[in-house]
Amino acid sequence: MTPIAHTRVWRPGTQESDIRLTLPARPENIAVVRHMLGALGQAIELPPAVVDDLRLAVTEACTNVVRHAYPDRSGMLDVVVRPERERLEVIVADSGRGMGPSPDRRGPGLGLPLIAALADSFDIDESVPSGSRLVMSFMRTRRGPAMRAL
Amino acid sequence: MNEEEEPTRVSIVAGPLVGPVLRRVVGMLAARADLPLDRLDDAVLVADLVAARAPAHVAQATVDVALQSGDRSIDLRVGPLRRGGGRALVVDAAVPGVGNVIEQLADQLDIECEGNHEFLHVRLSYDGAD
Repeated sequence: MTPIAHTRVWRPGTQESDIRLTLPARPENIAVVRHMLGALGQAIELPPAVVDDLRLAVTEACTNVVRHAYPDRSGMLDVVVRPERERLEVIVADSGRGMGPSPDRRGPGLGLPLIAALADSFDIDESVPSGSRLVMSFMRTRRGPAMRAL
Repeated sequence: MNEEEEPTRVSIVAGPLVGPVLRRVVGMLAARADLPLDRLDDAVLVADLVAARAPAHVAQATVDVALQSGDRSIDLRVGPLRRGGGRALVVDAAVPGVGNVIEQLADQLDIECEGNHEFLHVRLSYDGAD
């Protein structure tokens, strides 16, 4: 079967590039987000080092949602990606219990520091009425992975 | 669709990123549904057709697809589409010499109306022996 041709060319910095993925906050869905980011990185020709950092940081953010956001109920994980001319903005959000000490204290607690190290900018949006909202951005032109600077 | 869990929803501004993103997400969920390779390929082909044809029929600026993987099945609900967009999307998926690809690959194909909008529901499943 002949592949379907997509004739329009991606232009960074336009509104035609926003992507939103909303999934049940379950561990197996983190892989779906990672694969989506890989496909996106390929489509917009992001440097491999940026894709690596992007995938790792977003994995950490999604893992936080899966582990901590809904301790006693099921809920959704929301990922928005906005490719812009110079950078890529990624928002990971949930409508769960919000930021704060979690009863689940397994693990070394490196999630947020790791995200802060990997992303070129990182912000916790405290204006949301419920849940949490992490806003990360990654510059499209980076010489190497952020991890090398750690 | 499976009522036990909320579907996975993908919303992409109509444009060239719809295809790469949608085909990857559909491929992941089809694999999770334990579809055999040929049906997984079918699901990805349907995703490619939706990505290529749906932008002409969507009710707003985005292509929206709700996905649910079940026991050897995957459901795609495409929309909101403009009135008449469900049928038009299926018709647009015809390939010369091959016929209508979505109709040939789907085990179930419905158009659902909600107010002024339509949703195209496509189910691909596998009930053969391993």
